[in-house]
Amino acid sequence: MLNYIWSGLIIGSLLFALTVDTQELVENRFRNDTPLPVALEIDEGYAPDARRQPVRIRIDSTPYAQMYGGDAVPEGTYSGTLVQTREGRKIEFSTDADLPEPLATIQSYHATDDNPALRGTLSSLTASPGTEQLRAAVQFEPVRFRKLRNIAQAALNFAETAASLALSLIGILGLMLGLVKIGEEAGLIEALTGIVQPLLNPLFPNVPRDHPALANISLNLLANVFGLGNAATPLGIKAMEDLQDLNPSDDTATDDMVMLLALNTSSVQLVPPSLLVAIMGLQINQLFFSITLATLFSTIAGILGTLALHRVPYFRATSPHRSDDASETPSA
Amino acid sequence: MIETIRSVVSVLSAFVLPTLIVGFPLYGLIKGVRVYEVFVEGAKEGFDVAVTIIPYLIAILFAIGMFRASGAMDYLVNALDPVLGMIGVPAEVLPMGIVRPLTGSGSAGLVADMINQYGEDSLVVKMAATMFGSTETTFYVIAVYFGAVNIRDTRHAVPAGLFADFVGFLASVYVVQLLFG
Repeated sequence: MLNYIWSGLIIGSLLFALTVDTQELVENRFRNDTPLPVALEIDEGYAPDARRQPVRIRIDSTPYAQMYGGDAVPEGTYSGTLVQTREGRKIEFSTDADLPEPLATIQSYHATDDNPALRGTLSSLTASPGTEQLRAAVQFEPVRFRKLRNIAQAALNFAETAASLALSLIGILGLMLGLVKIGEEAGLIEALTGIVQPLLNPLFPNVPRDHPALANISLNLLANVFGLGNAATPLGIKAMEDLQDLNPSDDTATDDMVMLLALNTSSVQLVPPSLLVAIMGLQINQLFFSITLATLFSTIAGILGTLALHRVPYFRATSPHRSDDASETPSA
Repeated sequence: MIETIRSVVSVLSAFVLPTLIVGFPLYGLIKGVRVYEVFVEGAKEGFDVAVTIIPYLIAILFAIGMFRASGAMDYLVNALDPVLGMIGVPAEVLPMGIVRPLTGSGSAGLVADMINQYGEDSLVVKMAATMFGSTETTFYVIAVYFGAVNIRDTRHAVPAGLFADFVGFLASVYVVQLLFG
């Protein structure tokens, strides 16, 4: 099941990314080969020999809208730098400029750690030295298959996040598991079993009253209630083994086994799982009650739902206890 | 009425974690447990747990991350928003509802990821965290519990477990809405 969902996520993202990329290529969303007309204002006057000159870049909204379409409107002037390079004159938008789409996307596509700014090559720049206002056109680097690149980047980033996240949880996990261990050693669970056991009788009709299965079931459920995940699993397996002893069949689950499972998955939680405490930090304080309350509902629903499923004709027919009902249940 | 519940909860909330942190050792002390040694012994497992979950976290987080980077997640959320909206469920918590019964560590990663995206104070993160706390990795539990006693025909265990998870999912949404909405 998880295999399909997992591969579905990966293949799904690839297909979705390819679709978006192809669409953008077909409609040439980023006008890959068309320069954008801009006006440059240079306070100190245009100097053809200068390596870098601060400029203000004005983008008129009409030609911008004509070229790129869409609703995003440039906000007049942006600060930037005029750079002289071997490949010719380039214009560099300042990194804190709040660029309209699709310029912002072009910027993030070409951004590197060294140079996150949006850059474009100036064409049709004809100006005599000293000019303060000049017109030009900017050709940005082409944007192709950006989503494809994004998903690859995301895979790398999240793999790194996952590892550092897990390691950052060590401290709080240690604290919680240490506390939980004390509760375990102190017999917190055993102390409460007596109260729970009578409640369980009606839910497990095929378990005789004095059978040890009931004790193990209550231990398992209480371990769940106190968020003792590590203790709950072996206790649950033990309870399952007890139920299997009472099972006339070798490989078919009894109603009682299904009930135990439903109680485990819906169990009331007084103490949330350590992992959640580690992730949420102090915020967990607020969530104790929402979790307790939500599990109260899910436990009731889990019990009622399972009792209802017991009665579904198909499941009744497959019950290992079915054929023995008449002969082996003397005190009904 | 709801206002009273909210204020009672917010007052009590401040006490829960401190009570737990002090209460367990105190109870242990009364019961004659060597609390310090036992605590250290338990805390050692913290490292193991953290290391054990790394591969699961990587698997789920990178797949979810890719899915979101491709834009497919937004698309899905937008498409499902009106449907889920009718029953008062924000579409952002849907991935949690799908992943939770399948993988515990993976859904923990999802909560962490949602904190990054929506902030830990946001309603959807509280919903997702409540879901994490109130439902169980049903398929894992089925595999482990029934596997241990060689039961092959699980009968209605899967529908029963998933039904409980589904109710837990809805209850988390409504309870968080009620307490913090």
